[in-house]
Amino acid sequence: MKRLVTTLLVLVLGSFCSLVSATDDKFHFESPEKSALFLDLTKELRCPKCQNQNIADSDAMIAVDLKRKVYELLQKGYDRQQVIDFMKQRYGDFVYYQPPVNPMTIWLWLLPILFVFVALAGVVMTRKRQPAEINNEQLAKAQAILERDE
Amino acid sequence: MKKVAFYLMPLVVFLGLIIFLYQGLFSDPRDHQSSLLEKPMPEFVLPDLMDIEQTYTQDVFLGEVTLLNVWGVWCITCAIELPYLKQLQNEGKHIVGLYYDQDIDPDFGIKTVERVQQEVTDKLNQIANPYAYNIFDVKRNLSLDLGVTGAPETYLIDQQGKIRLHHIGDINPRVWNKKFAPIYDLLVAQ
Repeated sequence: MKRLVTTLLVLVLGSFCSLVSATDDKFHFESPEKSALFLDLTKELRCPKCQNQNIADSDAMIAVDLKRKVYELLQKGYDRQQVIDFMKQRYGDFVYYQPPVNPMTIWLWLLPILFVFVALAGVVMTRKRQPAEINNEQLAKAQAILERDE
Repeated sequence: MKKVAFYLMPLVVFLGLIIFLYQGLFSDPRDHQSSLLEKPMPEFVLPDLMDIEQTYTQDVFLGEVTLLNVWGVWCITCAIELPYLKQLQNEGKHIVGLYYDQDIDPDFGIKTVERVQQEVTDKLNQIANPYAYNIFDVKRNLSLDLGVTGAPETYLIDQQGKIRLHHIGDINPRVWNKKFAPIYDLLVAQ
């Protein structure tokens, strides 16, 4: 039991240490803001080689190179937008997870809104159709049936 | 009539979805426009792989239509395309290699140049050497500026040093005839 606890403790501590040092080992920043920006950017930039990973996650060489470039640029005093623009110039819009709004991509935002309106219109139209006219003759018939049952 | 239309709607939606997804089967996610097309080569100062004393800049591409082939000995597909590149060279095409090494991590250390040279010489002797010369992208900075995602990749550069084509993947007769030849022939004819 005691051994188990020790092993667990070592494991937990070990993983904690690796988390802490993950940003420190290679890329050291003088301010925590810059460090945070670096982590943010590497999460939002997409690896051009392994497309479903961001460059923070990916171990592909290109991702490592891009991370190093982001670090270099931040050290040079680039701000967030400048780094993103630098990457887009080389790897296209593709490299950033947030797509730009242009005539092609505008549909990503418009389609859901359109869908809501079409669905609303559909609901309203079916509602209107519902009240079927019941004339006196039908009412009298129904009354007759009710009375007979009694 | 209205009722028929109503019941047909799910079918129409379904068919639309099928067409959309079917197209997806044949689209290549790696196939996206390079953002460097029609732009001049990025600036660089890099050494020759075999003669470190000699350096090249972007001006080296002026005056001749060039195929810039990004490769490395560690890249298997690159080895496969070497014989075809050799054939292209025999036909009179000017092919320059942009060599980068995977084992060199600029943050840690650098493999000796002699070792890289030895590896490259061995590989080229073993298969074929289609290159007029190789530019050594020591820290992979030029590759990054070019938007290289891996190897092999090939750029077609015109006489004015502008990038006209960026191809990701190997060059084979099919790719050459379909993608490169039309533009290449047009450039050479100028």
